[in-house]
Amino acid sequence: MNREQAKEILTLYRPGTADAEDPSFSEARRLCGQDPELNRWFEQHCARYLALRARFKQVAIPAGFKEQILAERKIHTTPAWRRPAVLLTAVAMVAVIAGSVILWQRPREDLGFSGYINRMTGIARRGYAMELETKDPAQVRAYLTRSQAPSDYVLPHALEQSTLAGCAVKDWQGAKVSMICFYSGKPLPPGETTDLWFFVIDHSSVQGAPSSSLPAVTAMDRATAASWTVGNKTYVLVAEGDEQFLRKYL
Amino acid sequence: MASGEDFESIVAQYYEPLYQFAFSLTRTEADACDLTQQTFYVWATKGHQLRDKTKVKTWLFTTLHRGFLESRRRQTRFPHYELSEVPLELPEMPSLLVNELDSRQVLQALSQVDEVYQAPVALFYLEDCSYKDVAEILDVPIGTVKSRMARGIAQLQKILISGTKRTPTNK
Repeated sequence: MNREQAKEILTLYRPGTADAEDPSFSEARRLCGQDPELNRWFEQHCARYLALRARFKQVAIPAGFKEQILAERKIHTTPAWRRPAVLLTAVAMVAVIAGSVILWQRPREDLGFSGYINRMTGIARRGYAMELETKDPAQVRAYLTRSQAPSDYVLPHALEQSTLAGCAVKDWQGAKVSMICFYSGKPLPPGETTDLWFFVIDHSSVQGAPSSSLPAVTAMDRATAASWTVGNKTYVLVAEGDEQFLRKYL
Repeated sequence: MASGEDFESIVAQYYEPLYQFAFSLTRTEADACDLTQQTFYVWATKGHQLRDKTKVKTWLFTTLHRGFLESRRRQTRFPHYELSEVPLELPEMPSLLVNELDSRQVLQALSQVDEVYQAPVALFYLEDCSYKDVAEILDVPIGTVKSRMARGIAQLQKILISGTKRTPTNK
């Protein structure tokens, strides 16, 4: 196999997926270890892939879409062929009403500040696509400005000293949330690169956001979050660890 | 018919990736919502026929893609041509350029890629499905999946580099 053949094969390699174990990529990947130019090309390919993947994953899901799908299903649960048309109409109407009532009674996502903290902690903990990977704070601010997300934030001094990993833009009820990711330096499980996540949103975009500039700490499952407001920005810092660990970065 | 509990858990697990795939194909929120809802409707009525529950994801993506093709067929027929006839040139796109782009620009570029490549490219970037599963979703042989992906990626990157509008080719 020569360099060009290897490139052709590796064009379809998706880093961070099961392709790493796919034997059809093995030989070409082995060749990267022997050919520095091919290896450079391959690293660029992986970086391009991850960046483009993040753009594809940025597509926002319409608010309430899941509930809409579930409600629609309730309308369709009566098989048409078993009912006369009039009865079907009546059943469909009942289903619509029942669906609406069930939807109304269903525990909805908490749209208040605790719901916001839960959602952001979930994003940090369950995995997310880093849209920009960089250690340069200026690049992060420039990216967030371009994405029309909050970029005039003030980092706690201790957090500013941590290793910056990159950023992403998230959504809360139609408002942009800046997510800036850091690494504390402590050993992490394989595949994880960050353990501190700083979220910024305009204060007016979250119902019940705190007005105090003193951080309030909330313990979550295997994570801890602190929240505070300065000026028109509300901050949440999520840390993979306990309160003692989190407080080192406030 | 799928039980209520099963249905809710399947919706919770897959509605986001299905919507994102649908949006990358249709580029409009309304059409993407319709396609995704239609897919779950089919699942609610026929999902119980699927014996191998590990295939739910592939089944849903296949159904969505078929729904998309069906709606496209109603609008226009687009020609199929052998991909081996099309030369593959992968441009060198700097990673920094990608960092300058946003989601809207990337999807706009995807819309300019030849239609036959759009779904494979979207699956390449959005999903971690094996190539065998992608072949099942698109209902084409695995070799065709790979060549469509490779050529689609090359076109997408060329379009992103040039930043100029391009008309899909009909051969």
